[in-house]
Amino acid sequence: MKLLIIEDEVLLNQTMVDFLTAAGYLCESVSTYIAALEKIELYDYDCIILDIMLPGGSGLDLLKILKKDRKTDGIIIISAKGALEDKIAGIEMGADDYLAKPFHLSELSVRIAAIIRRKSFHGQALIQIGNIQIDTQGKSVKINELLLELTQKEYQLLVFLTVNKNRIVSKNAIAQHLWGDDMDLADNYDFIYSHIKNLRKKIMALGGEDCIKSIYGEGYKLQAN
Amino acid sequence: MKLFSKYNRINISATILIFLVGSMAFYFVLQYVLIRQLDDTLWSEKQEVVDYVNSHHQLPEIQNTKNQWIDVVKINALLPNAFVRTIPLKIIDEQEYIRQLIFSVQANNQYYQYTVNKSEAETEDLLQLIILVTMAMIGLMLLFNYLINRKLVTNTWKPFYTTIDRIKDYAAHLQPLALSKEPIDEINLLNESINSMTERISKDYLALRSFTENASHEMQTPLAIIRSKVESLLQDAEGNKKTIQQLLAIEDASVRLSKLHQSLLLLTKLENRQFVLNEPVLLDAILKNKITERQELIDSKLIICNTNIESVIISFHQHLAEILVSNLLNNAIRYTPSGGNIQIELSKSNLIISNTAIGGALNTTQIFQRFYKEHSDNTSTGLGLAIVYEVCLAAGFVIEYKYQQQQHIFTINLSK
Repeated sequence: MKLLIIEDEVLLNQTMVDFLTAAGYLCESVSTYIAALEKIELYDYDCIILDIMLPGGSGLDLLKILKKDRKTDGIIIISAKGALEDKIAGIEMGADDYLAKPFHLSELSVRIAAIIRRKSFHGQALIQIGNIQIDTQGKSVKINELLLELTQKEYQLLVFLTVNKNRIVSKNAIAQHLWGDDMDLADNYDFIYSHIKNLRKKIMALGGEDCIKSIYGEGYKLQAN
Repeated sequence: MKLFSKYNRINISATILIFLVGSMAFYFVLQYVLIRQLDDTLWSEKQEVVDYVNSHHQLPEIQNTKNQWIDVVKINALLPNAFVRTIPLKIIDEQEYIRQLIFSVQANNQYYQYTVNKSEAETEDLLQLIILVTMAMIGLMLLFNYLINRKLVTNTWKPFYTTIDRIKDYAAHLQPLALSKEPIDEINLLNESINSMTERISKDYLALRSFTENASHEMQTPLAIIRSKVESLLQDAEGNKKTIQQLLAIEDASVRLSKLHQSLLLLTKLENRQFVLNEPVLLDAILKNKITERQELIDSKLIICNTNIESVIISFHQHLAEILVSNLLNNAIRYTPSGGNIQIELSKSNLIISNTAIGGALNTTQIFQRFYKEHSDNTSTGLGLAIVYEVCLAAGFVIEYKYQQQQHIFTINLSK
């Protein structure tokens, strides 16, 4: 899976590259408009992570060029301009997703994975982790061919942890992923605990591997080989 | 009172006053002059009599007319001096005034008292006529003055009222007004001053707007770096509980900071009236949706949530409506004790959210203020209700807080 990261803030760019490389992606990164233009004209990517404010031009112009050239690259806009109007403009111009800065890297990772799954239909909709099989199109989970009955939140949580496998994700990141921004996060920490507990119980009941580890109650990690 | 009425009132009363005083003065001056003229004829009559007596040593023959007649009586001594006086005279049923000159002459060793009478009727008629003409002129003058002024003032002030109307809609869009040039200097000056003022306001407004946007951008980027670095470090810290806890504390703080920042930015935008509130919004759908999102939370606190939601469509802003509803719900859920009640009512006119109170009534003057917290609580930004208040203000809704029977009741009046 090839990603292009277009972000002018060097520190952030580097952290994203490291994180996504560790998550198994092949990452290229640029930090200027010109360099980005060169890359998108020469190569195809599975997903492009696009910052809007760039030295030398606007990320939205790059988006226009990509759409004009009928490129099929998935595009996720990351911008500090959290204004709703910007989000709508970005999506209307053909971006697949929009993430306002600051964001959790684990959230970015999940969004990228979702875009890539949507873009490529050849069996990519299935995620296999140990003996757990997640069908992201049918939104169903099977363990050893047995259907795992999950609530919507439990399903979202499982996908989130799966995409961020072998990494510690904080309660904050999970809460924001499951409940969004407009709810009091602190109120939801207890739910995360109970959802995780239920999820583990259900997985083990079907003979699945107990792969979700609590990290001192502050975060969680899905362990997979 | 309109300027024209005010101007007219002063103008007309001043004119009437001046004319009254003037007419009175005119009347007295004219009367004085006419009486003097009358007296002059009387005195010359006397002179004629005296001259006649001196040269002929006998009394002249008396010729009386309707307006002038002479009475002669014999007296024993000469009068010390001649004098004039006005006396009333009743003729049938008409009261008339007569001017008399009384003097004495001596002829053939006999003293005679002469009384020359002259009716004032003629003088009075003249006086009356003059006064009548003057009054008519005053009346005409007032009428024309009023008509001319009305026409003139209405026409002259038309551009002024145009300017006022433009200023009235100014607040809605904050664009420079660009008022046109007018032939009248004062209005032109006013328009030019307003033009330059609105241009300055627009510039300031744009500067403030771009400042808040830039500030937001410039602050969110370092926050993004902090958060991503913490997340990276977290992966390396596995097995080290203390480090993980500290890293997550940093993350918490950065999440709070960015939320705080977003809330303040939203407040600034609301104050700057940067939202256009004219989308049709299905308020009932938003309310139901937001309640469903929080159902888990409501159930976990064993809160009984009663709803009575009518279908309501209002002209508003989708995002702001969501924020308004979310903030009120979050607040209600957060401050309801376990096992308490939440009552949500939506009708065409009102949105009422009430919940069981833990303590007593909240401080009504302070709950909508920024950073006001009833209890020290670092998971709340203290901006939720301030945002609710500002959204209501921007939309023209009226929000009220009441405390009744251990219930906090927030009522938003949706009729604008």
